Amino acid sequence: MAKALMRGLAAASLCVLAALPARAQPVQASLTVAEVQGVIAAVVQEAQARNANATIAVTDRVGNVLGVFQMNGAPARVRVSTGKGIARTNGLEEVQNTFAMLGANSTPSTRVAAIAKAVTGSYLSSGGNAFTTRTASQIVQEHFNVGEKFAPSGPLFGVQFSQLPCSDLSTRFAAPGAAMPGLVSATVGPKRSPLGLSADPGGIALYKNGVPVGAVGVEANGIYTIDPVIVDYDFSIDEILAAAGSALFPPPSDILASKITVDGKTLRYLDNDPSQLATNPSTAPAFATINGVAGNLVAVAGYNAAAIVAGQAYGAIASGFARDNSGTFDFVGQPVFILYDGAGNPRFAPRNSVSPATGGGGGLTANEVTTILGQALRVALAGRAQIRRPLTSAIQVTISVVDANGNILGIARTADGPVFGTDVSLQKARSATFFSATDAATNLGTFNSGLGTAVGSNLNGVPINRYVTQTRAIMGPSALADGFAYGERSIGNLARPFLPDGLDYAGMGPLSVPIATWSLFNTGLQLDLVIDNIAGHLLFADGVNANDINATCTALAATGTGITRLSNGLQIFPGGVPIFRNNQRIGGIGVSGDGIDQDDMISFLGLHNGGLALGNGVGNAPPGNRVDQLILTSGRLRYVACPFKPFIGSRQRNVCDGK
Amino acid sequence: MFVTASNAMRPLARLATVATLATGALVSASPAFAGKEQINGQRPLILVQDVPNSQRIPQRGPRESDRVAPPTPEDLERIGPPSPNLPREFIPVPDRWRLADSVGIRSRWFDPYGQNILKGDRPVFGTQDWFVVVAAISDSVYEPRRLPIGISPNGQQKPGQNDQFGGGDQTIFNQNLILSLSVIQGNTAFKPQDLEFRFTPVINYNRIEVNETGVVNRDLREGSVRNDQHVGVQEAFVDYHIRNVSNRYDFDSLRAGIQPFSSDFRGFLFQDSQLGFRLFGTRDNNLLQYNLAYFRRLDKDTNSGLNDVNQRIRNDDIYLANVYLQDLPILGYTSQFTIVHNRNNEDQRFFYNENNFLERPASLGDERFRRYQVTYLGYNGDGRVGRAALTVSGYYAFGKDSHNQMNGSAAGVDANISAYFVAAEPSIDFDWIRIRGSFLHASGDSDPFDNEEEGFAAIFENPQFAGGDTSYWIRQGIPFIGGGGVGLKQRNGVLAELRTSKEHGQSNFNNPGITLIGFGTDFDLTPELRLSTNINQLYFADTSNLEVLRNQGQIDEEIGLDISAAFIYRPLFIQNIVLRLSGAVLKPGPGFKDLFASRQDGTDEFLYSILFNGILTF
Repeated sequence: MAKALMRGLAAASLCVLAALPARAQPVQASLTVAEVQGVIAAVVQEAQARNANATIAVTDRVGNVLGVFQMNGAPARVRVSTGKGIARTNGLEEVQNTFAMLGANSTPSTRVAAIAKAVTGSYLSSGGNAFTTRTASQIVQEHFNVGEKFAPSGPLFGVQFSQLPCSDLSTRFAAPGAAMPGLVSATVGPKRSPLGLSADPGGIALYKNGVPVGAVGVEANGIYTIDPVIVDYDFSIDEILAAAGSALFPPPSDILASKITVDGKTLRYLDNDPSQLATNPSTAPAFATINGVAGNLVAVAGYNAAAIVAGQAYGAIASGFARDNSGTFDFVGQPVFILYDGAGNPRFAPRNSVSPATGGGGGLTANEVTTILGQALRVALAGRAQIRRPLTSAIQVTISVVDANGNILGIARTADGPVFGTDVSLQKARSATFFSATDAATNLGTFNSGLGTAVGSNLNGVPINRYVTQTRAIMGPSALADGFAYGERSIGNLARPFLPDGLDYAGMGPLSVPIATWSLFNTGLQLDLVIDNIAGHLLFADGVNANDINATCTALAATGTGITRLSNGLQIFPGGVPIFRNNQRIGGIGVSGDGIDQDDMISFLGLHNGGLALGNGVGNAPPGNRVDQLILTSGRLRYVACPFKPFIGSRQRNVCDGK
Repeated sequence: MFVTASNAMRPLARLATVATLATGALVSASPAFAGKEQINGQRPLILVQDVPNSQRIPQRGPRESDRVAPPTPEDLERIGPPSPNLPREFIPVPDRWRLADSVGIRSRWFDPYGQNILKGDRPVFGTQDWFVVVAAISDSVYEPRRLPIGISPNGQQKPGQNDQFGGGDQTIFNQNLILSLSVIQGNTAFKPQDLEFRFTPVINYNRIEVNETGVVNRDLREGSVRNDQHVGVQEAFVDYHIRNVSNRYDFDSLRAGIQPFSSDFRGFLFQDSQLGFRLFGTRDNNLLQYNLAYFRRLDKDTNSGLNDVNQRIRNDDIYLANVYLQDLPILGYTSQFTIVHNRNNEDQRFFYNENNFLERPASLGDERFRRYQVTYLGYNGDGRVGRAALTVSGYYAFGKDSHNQMNGSAAGVDANISAYFVAAEPSIDFDWIRIRGSFLHASGDSDPFDNEEEGFAAIFENPQFAGGDTSYWIRQGIPFIGGGGVGLKQRNGVLAELRTSKEHGQSNFNNPGITLIGFGTDFDLTPELRLSTNINQLYFADTSNLEVLRNQGQIDEEIGLDISAAFIYRPLFIQNIVLRLSGAVLKPGPGFKDLFASRQDGTDEFLYSILFNGILTF
C-alpha cells in the first residue's frame, strides 16, 4: 500500500511537471552562426575520418535553412529509389526520366535531399519527442511495424507528401518568378521542404538544454531512400555523419523515439550507436579552417544564399510561431500558439467562411471558428499524448479549420506541437472536406497541369480520373458525388496499397496503386495530384529553371480565391473530419502532431464539443451520413478512432461513442 | 487486434485434467503418491486405476484440488493389485485370464466396468503378456464470455464505432474427441510393464463467435465467426522399462516421443504434451522418484491448442531434472527439487499463426529477433501438515536474453533475466466442507529501459490453482489492446506475461508480474454434486512496462476482484459422466479500468466467463 501511495505521488508530481511546459511559455532558444558552423564542422570531420564526402544542411525548428555545405567530391545528385525495383514514371521512383520530360536530364540534387532530411528531423520533433528520418521511415510504410505482414500501415502513412514546395501555408525564403509566391520571409516558418518529408536516414534534431532548435541533414551516399528492413541494425553513412553533428546538441535521452511506443512498438531513433563515431565532435576543427578547403557553402534557390545564418527561436514572433497575444483564445485556459507573419500580424486569425457565405449561406462565422478551435484545443490539452514523454504529458498539436472550398478559416496550436503538424492539419482539414463534397469527383476531373500527355493526366501520364473510376468500382457508381461524409481515416483506408489495409494478399485500395508499383515515392492519388508541382519546384531549386512554382498545390480547378481545394496537397492519414451545419457540409477540421487516434479525437470531439457550445446545428456529419454506413466487401471504412485512454486523470473510455 | 490466445482452445493440460477425471488409460496420477496419502488417512486422489474396473466402487467426485495431476515419475497406472486367488477353492481352468469366464462373467466390449479386452484386462494376439488399452473421451465446452476487444484500425463491423473498444461478448464451442490406444507388454498384475506403445490423437472442432471483425482473423473479410478443426497428436511414445533395481520393483524407464509432463504439482512452469525423451524411475521403495528429461517443442495448432505435427519443430529446448522426496521434511509431505533450463533460439524468421497474427518475434518493443536461455531453480511441496493440506511452489529464474526488445542497441549487449515466483495454497477440511486459501506472486519488471528483465515468465503454464479454469482471470486470455500484439495474459494461465501466446510465443520477462490473494471453498452437497467457490483479488506487481508500452502513465496496480463458482455433477456417481457448470465474474479494479473497456459505450460492466463442460469417458 505504501508503495502504491508513493507511486501515486510520483505519478501526480510527474503529471504536474508534464503539464508545466504547456502552461508556461516554452523556453526560447536558437542556434547561433557559430553553432551552425560547429555542427557542420563536426559532420565534416567525421566524414573525412570515414573517407566520405557529404552534403550537409542545418535548419532551425521552423524550417529556415541555416546553411548548406557541400564537401569536395560529394555526390551532386541523388537517386530516388526505395530499392523495390520499381521502374521510372511510377511516381518519384527513379525520377530522372520524369525530369527529362520537363527538359532536364537530371535527378534531384543532394542539396535538396539534405534540406529535406533536416526539415524532417526538425519538424517531427518537439520538446517531448526526438524523432529522426529513420523514425519517419518506420511510420510511413505499408505495414507497421515495417516488415510485419498483415499489419496495417504506418500511423503517418502519407506524411512524406506534406510541407510540399507548392503549399500555400508554408513560407518561402525567396520565390522568384512565381505568380503566387505566398508569404516570403527570411525568418518566418513553417518553411516548405523541397522533397516533402524524408524517410531516408540522416536527418536528426538538435536540442539546446532540452529545447528543440533545429536539425542537421546529411546526404553522402547519393541514394534517397527508405529503410525497408528494420529488424537489423543498418549502417548508414548519412546517419552516422548526421549523428556526429547532433552529438553537439543532443536531445534529452528520455524523449528519444526509442522510448516512445505506438501500439506497443518502440520507435526507431538511430541504428548507429553514438559510441560508433570515429571522431570526437566536440574537438572538430574550426569551421573557418574547412570552409573553402574541405568544401564550400552552397546556394539552394528558394532556401539559402550560400551563407550561414542564425536560427530563429521558436516562440518569438519572428519565427512565425508565437503565443496568441490577442486574447482570442483566452477562454481555453492555457497558452495558445498561433502563426504570425513576422510583422506581428496573425496569419490565420479566425475569420468568416468564404464558401459557403455566412448568414443565409450557412458558412462558419469567425466566432464559430474560434469556438471550434478552442474546444478542440481543450480536448487536446486534457488528452494523453501518445508520442511524448514523460508519460502523462498532454497532447501537443496544430488545429486547422477550413471552409467548404478549403479556404483557411483559422489555425491554432498548443505551445509545443511538432511543426510538421501545421501544414498537415491543414491538409487533413481540406482532404476530409474535399472528399465529403458532392462534386469531389467532378473536381478531380478538372485536373490540368499542362505537363501531362493529355488533359487530366500528370507528367507521368496518370489520368487522375482513374481514381474516381476505381473508387466507384468499390463504393458504387455515385461515390464521391453522393455527399457521404469521409473522415480522414476513411480516406486513408481507401488510399492504402491493400484493402483492407495491411492484408498482403488483398487488392489495392481505390486511391492507391497496386503493391507491385506502390512505394513511398508512389502513393497513388496523393502524389499524382502534386508530382507536377514537386518536379517543377525541384528544377527551380536545382537551378535548371529560373522561376519557382506557385503557392498552391494540384492542378485542380481553382476556387474563387485563386487556390485549389487541396492547396497544400492531399493527406491520407487520420485526424480530420468535415464540419456540418445540420445536413449541410460547410467545411472541415484537421488536427496533426500527436498519435493518429489523438488527432482523430481532437478533430471529432473538439468539433462535437464546439457544436454543443454553439448550439446552432454546427457539428459533425449526421451519423447516418457518414461513410461508415456503407458495407463494402472489405468491411466498413472507419470514420474516426478515438484513443484507448483518451484523457489524463480520467478513466473515461470510448469517449467518441454515440456522437 | 490480438486475440489468438483467447481463441485458442484448451491445450493439453486440459487433457491432463480430463485424464485425471477419467478412468483407464489416460490417468496419470502417481500411485505411489496416492498410497502415501492413504496411509496418512488423507482423502485419496482419484486413482481409479488402482482398482480393476470390475471391482471399482463408485466414489465421490474429485475436488478441484484433487483433480490436480501429480507428476508422473512412472506410469504404473495399469498395475492393479492381484485378484483374490484362494487356493482352497481351486478350480482348474485353461489360464488365469479365463477365471471370470468360468464363473459365468461375460465380458462386453462396450462395458468398461466389466472385464474387457479393450481395457487391458486380458492379453491379446493369443499371447500371455500383450495387452491393449483403448480409451475414448468426449470433452465438450460451451463458453459464453466477455473480454475487452479492440476494433481494427482498418475496418469495423458496425456503423458508429468511433473508438478502440468494441463489444466484448463472445461464445466458444469446443469439442475434443480424445482417442487413445496403448499396446502394452508385461504381465502387469505383479510388476511394472516392460514395454508400452501409446498413441493418442485428439480430434477437435472449435467455433468462436465474436462481435467484431479482425478478431478471429486479421483479415477482416473473414468476419466475426470462425469454425476450425484439427487433429492433434497429444501422445505418441514408446515407454521402455529398462530394469528393476530392487525387490520392490524400483525401476528405471525411458519414454521417448510425444508425452505429457508437468514440471510441478500445479502446472506453474511447464505442463504440456511435448516431444521429448525422459528417463525416470524410483528408488528406496518408491520414496524417491526422479525425472531426467529433454523436450524439443512442437508448434501448436493455433485454434485448438493441440500439437501440430505438420509444422516445423520449434527451435526451443527444455532440459529438466527433478527429484521427489516423500516424507520430507515431515511425514506425509512430499518435496520436489527441480532445475529446468529453457533455451530458445527462435531468432531467424517471422512466424505467423493460422489467423495471420505475428507470433515470433512479438509485435512489441522494437520487434527485433531475440533468443534467450533461462534456468529455473525450483522447490515444490505438497502434502499434509497436521490436519491441513499445503501446496507450495517457488522458482527463481535467471539467464540471458540476447536482445531486450525494450532496450536493445546496436551494441548487442545481452540482458540479464532475474525473476522469481512463489505460491502457496493451504486447505483444511471440515466434514463435507473444504476451506482453501491461495497466495501467488510473480515478480514484475521495474524498468523496461534497463538491462535487467525482472518479470517472471513460465515456459508453458497451466495452473491448477485458486480455482483454476473456473476463475475468470485464469481461464480467459486478455488481449493487450493498444499495447502491442500480445496478450496481457494468456488463456489457462495466471501470469501477466505480455507474450503473443502460450502456444507459439516466446517467453517475455519484461512483464508486470502478478499478485493473487484468494479464498475458496468446496462443498460436497451430495455424493453426486459438488459446489466450489473462489474469490481472488488480483494486482499487477509493477506496471512500469504496461505504462511504457501504452505510453500511458499512472496505471493502477489493482486489477480487480475475481469471483467464481462451479458445480460439478456426476449423475451416476461415476467418473465416466462428469458435468460441470461454472461461472465467473471479474469486477474490474482501477488498473483494469485504466487499460480497457469491455463494452462499446465505454462503461465499466463486469466481465464474465461461463463454462458448460461435459466429459464422457469410455
